[in-house]
Amino acid sequence: MERKLIFKRMVKSKFFMTGFLVAVFVVIISILSPLLANFDPTANALVDRLKSPGIAGHILGTDQLGRDIFSRLLMGSRYSLLIALVVVSLAAVIGTFLGLVSGYFGGRTDTLIMRISEIFLSIPQLILAIAIMAMLGTSVFNLVMVLVITSWTQYCKLARNNVLVQKNMDFVHASQVMGAGNMHIMLTQIFPNITTPLLITISQQFGMIIMVEASLSFLGLGIQQPTPSWGNMIADGRTYLTTAPWMVIAPGVALMITVLAFNFLGDGLRDVFDPKRT
Amino acid sequence: MYFRYILRRLGQTVIVLFFISILAFALIRIAPGNPARMMLPDTATEEQVHAKEMEMGLDKPLYIQYIKYIGGVLRGDLGTSASYQTSVGSIIADRFPATLLLTAATILVSLLISIPIGIIAGIRQGSMVDFLAMLFALIGQSMSTVWLAVMMIYIFSVKLNLLPALGMGGIKYLILPAITLGYPLAAQVTRMGRSGMIDVLREDYITATLAKGIPESRVYTKYAFKNALIPIVTVVGLQVGYFLGGAVVVETIFSWSGVGQLANQAVGNRDYALVQSLLLVIAAGFALVNLIVDLINAKIDPRITLE
Repeated sequence: MERKLIFKRMVKSKFFMTGFLVAVFVVIISILSPLLANFDPTANALVDRLKSPGIAGHILGTDQLGRDIFSRLLMGSRYSLLIALVVVSLAAVIGTFLGLVSGYFGGRTDTLIMRISEIFLSIPQLILAIAIMAMLGTSVFNLVMVLVITSWTQYCKLARNNVLVQKNMDFVHASQVMGAGNMHIMLTQIFPNITTPLLITISQQFGMIIMVEASLSFLGLGIQQPTPSWGNMIADGRTYLTTAPWMVIAPGVALMITVLAFNFLGDGLRDVFDPKRT
Repeated sequence: MYFRYILRRLGQTVIVLFFISILAFALIRIAPGNPARMMLPDTATEEQVHAKEMEMGLDKPLYIQYIKYIGGVLRGDLGTSASYQTSVGSIIADRFPATLLLTAATILVSLLISIPIGIIAGIRQGSMVDFLAMLFALIGQSMSTVWLAVMMIYIFSVKLNLLPALGMGGIKYLILPAITLGYPLAAQVTRMGRSGMIDVLREDYITATLAKGIPESRVYTKYAFKNALIPIVTVVGLQVGYFLGGAVVVETIFSWSGVGQLANQAVGNRDYALVQSLLLVIAAGFALVNLIVDLINAKIDPRITLE
């Protein structure tokens, strides 16, 4: 498709533009968070505990230990986004590669990879993540690993289905006849044709990973206190729901806006590249 | 044809179950600490630990241990829970009905809301109703279960004082957890119903029935709806996996004593035997649900069996 046309569609798609602008905004805020945070996000100040928003420079109030919620929110965004970025990149590379191999070679390789991915698909993501985290113990490394293990199948399935369509096309046969290597054909001939659905999946998975990480952190199996994350902030606030509802509302709204932005982006991309199925 | 399809799907399910059992078995090996010591009080001596190791067969090669483990599982013996000091099987069986009830209520609530919305949105594609339906769906897919649960309690229990926040009892106690767990499913079914409807309405046979003068409402409900239903059945099946995961969060927050809450407690208590068995039981349950869903789908649309 023509570049100009794609750009025109992007600007016209409300979903895409909203998602794109909000996502960019969230990313910029989280990069600039050390400059924007006006308090130390992990410093306790028991005198100032459970202050409501707006009091004494605490824009969004303070939590049960007197820590500034606005600063924690900003710091939490860094962890959430960075983890999602690392997880999505790793899972996309691993999953796409296995999917390409599986679809391209077929036969036993395909059966093996498909059986493995079926097993991972047949265990509910959060349950597997909880079991592994409980056994391995909590650390950021384990968290990333668990999230990759439970999400690579998405990309694998997608890449495989697309390869199955592509591999019998004339341009692939032509490359084979000209003696191009399998790896070369997979990466330079077939892969470029699946970038669009891949981009849509990545965008949706980004939001998904942020949510799963929040659930794990909420259950105490993700990011550990005193490091702030949106999930563990909601867990903290749950106990003070009647007296300090802002403790829950702030991280929840941030979580929703961020995930919504990436889902809008994914939907918008679909509109832009495939306008007949809006 | 259908019979051969059943056999093939059964075979696949057995293979998946086999690997799940290996995964569950391997998981407890990578857990820190000595499994024999876990079963004993802190005051146990080295000799007692050693005796327990022999009793549990930990000195045998891994494949023997696995055979012993799987043999036990097949006879319904899932081991002993360290924190409850009773059989894991009976603990899980105790908690299962509560989760089943919650899951049933969740599916019911979300389908009742989402199917009509999705179908109307599909028929009136591009209208205001359609836009609102899509917004409802996108928000549902972007709402973290954790936050939704806490906000439900805040709005309906703390502020409005309409519904109980915690515990189990009559229907009143079921409403908040079911809506919390069901919203993401409702969101997805709304989208499936909508796109299914749009696809079906493009088909020639729909144009033909409309041209014949059969009333629109009848065409939609009688002809189009049935075909838009197939992907929905699949989604509900796949979402059961999500429920079982989401149930951990929702049951924990709403103090619903089901399998999900049990999983969270087991993790907190470092009760590895219980965590392992929950993984096994939940994954096996999910695999069976998907098997059933596939068989139902193949019955609705026999073309599936030709794949």
